[in-house]
Amino acid sequence: MNLYRYGESGIRIVFGNSIDLETHEKVRRYYYFLKSLRLKEFIDIIPSFNSCVINFNNNAISFENIVSLITERHGELDAIEIPQPAHHEIPVMYGGECGPDMEFVCEYSGLSDNEVIEIHTSVIYTVFTVGFMPGFPYLGTLDKRLYAPRLETPRLKVPEGSVGLAQLQTGIYPFESPAGWRIIGKTDKKLFDYKKEPYSLLQIGDKVRFIKI
Amino acid sequence: MIEIFNPGWLAIIVDNGRYGYGDIGVPPSSALDNFAYSTLNYLTGNHTDSPVMEVMGRGFAIMFDVDITCAITGAKVSAYINDVPLKSWTSFKATKGSILRVKEVTEGLRYYVGFSGDMVLEKAIESFSTNLECRFGGYKGRPLMKGDIIEFNNVRIEEENAVAERYIPSMNPPHLLRITEGPEIGHFTPNSLKDFLKNHSENTYSVSTKLNRTGIRLEGKPLLFREKVDKSIISEGILPGTIQIPGDGQPIIMLYERSVGGYARIATVARIDIDMLAHLKPKDKVLFQMLGIEQAETLWVKKKRKYLMTYFG
Repeated sequence: MNLYRYGESGIRIVFGNSIDLETHEKVRRYYYFLKSLRLKEFIDIIPSFNSCVINFNNNAISFENIVSLITERHGELDAIEIPQPAHHEIPVMYGGECGPDMEFVCEYSGLSDNEVIEIHTSVIYTVFTVGFMPGFPYLGTLDKRLYAPRLETPRLKVPEGSVGLAQLQTGIYPFESPAGWRIIGKTDKKLFDYKKEPYSLLQIGDKVRFIKI
Repeated sequence: MIEIFNPGWLAIIVDNGRYGYGDIGVPPSSALDNFAYSTLNYLTGNHTDSPVMEVMGRGFAIMFDVDITCAITGAKVSAYINDVPLKSWTSFKATKGSILRVKEVTEGLRYYVGFSGDMVLEKAIESFSTNLECRFGGYKGRPLMKGDIIEFNNVRIEEENAVAERYIPSMNPPHLLRITEGPEIGHFTPNSLKDFLKNHSENTYSVSTKLNRTGIRLEGKPLLFREKVDKSIISEGILPGTIQIPGDGQPIIMLYERSVGGYARIATVARIDIDMLAHLKPKDKVLFQMLGIEQAETLWVKKKRKYLMTYFG
């Protein structure tokens, strides 16, 4: 683990430089550790694939002081209580109008659409991080056979619930949005609801399985 | 109540931001010019986290159905109540039946309009700010439109109050943005970094037309990546004011609508200059100057002191 300053009010705690479950577990543990400190000077904690970024209130505390408040508690890291990941099933309508890039993915992979669906639904994915937009899960790891590059020119609009692929990740757009991922299906499951907690269906570390409907 | 006659190019409700939910991808969506926002609430005698209107463009017009104190801060405007000219950064009384019109924006881009009273709006995830992309918060999750009506509680007439001219920031280009090093500054060739930081006129960036509340794309001499360096990074948390460099080498300054980014972060705009990002317009010239982190902190402490003088003389 390495700790760096990022701008005047940021701290990055970095655990590696690849996307893998081992790094993810470290990030997740550290994220719950940071939450457990309940420091009022923390404005935001953003865990992702291989780091936690903290935005802190540098009007209230110096970088040096907040770093020592954090590091002096590092002894608690191993004993920190981490919630069991929730398991979710996401029903998906694949292909056709719901999946405008299914044809591309078939062509690129040399697989039939049934094979693509079979492979996409056979993996239990991990939520590596939630970001880009509220509730958007970056799910890994996609089977190598489904590897697809991002669109060179992103679509201006895909509907809420669109399920996409990009490189070795898959994800779901919680809102109508511009999108650079290859869209292969769509779900009706609501991923983000600002009206009720927890606002995001998926949290870092949760497990997701897609079901064909 | 007030009625929107004309929202200008874009008028939305904002406050000081939606923080604490970066772990589920929720961005701050705060007022882009924080000093203008805070000063507006000071002038109208409101709480420091009250909702206000953030407006772009001329033509903005509202009709008052109540006697109430108002003020406009941020971009300098030529505004009238009925046909009487108003001063920016100065509170004024609007009477029932009068119409406030902004005829021209003379300096800067975004201006803030506030009222001595509590707008009747619902918070979404602890904030009044509008998340335009996801359509929640603010006024029904959308920009204000002609015919919209905003009701008030606790309407007040406050003593007229003004910000001294010397405390009103200049918003004219060229914009000198002071920055601190970003995590991926080492991804760029030394020569292209030198160019990026060169402070003379033949090597400036200009603001492109690709600009919104999420980010500002600049155009200029492209940054060059070192050999053997990936052009994208594994997506990671970003802070407001982060300057990202996508594959084409043209900088994008990120504002308050993203918590995660996947491009190399060359630098972060320093706190002292971050409010200026609200006022970058297409074609404006932009220059960068690198600060050490201690320098940036010292300058910010000085600026905060100046801000306090604005309010307490």
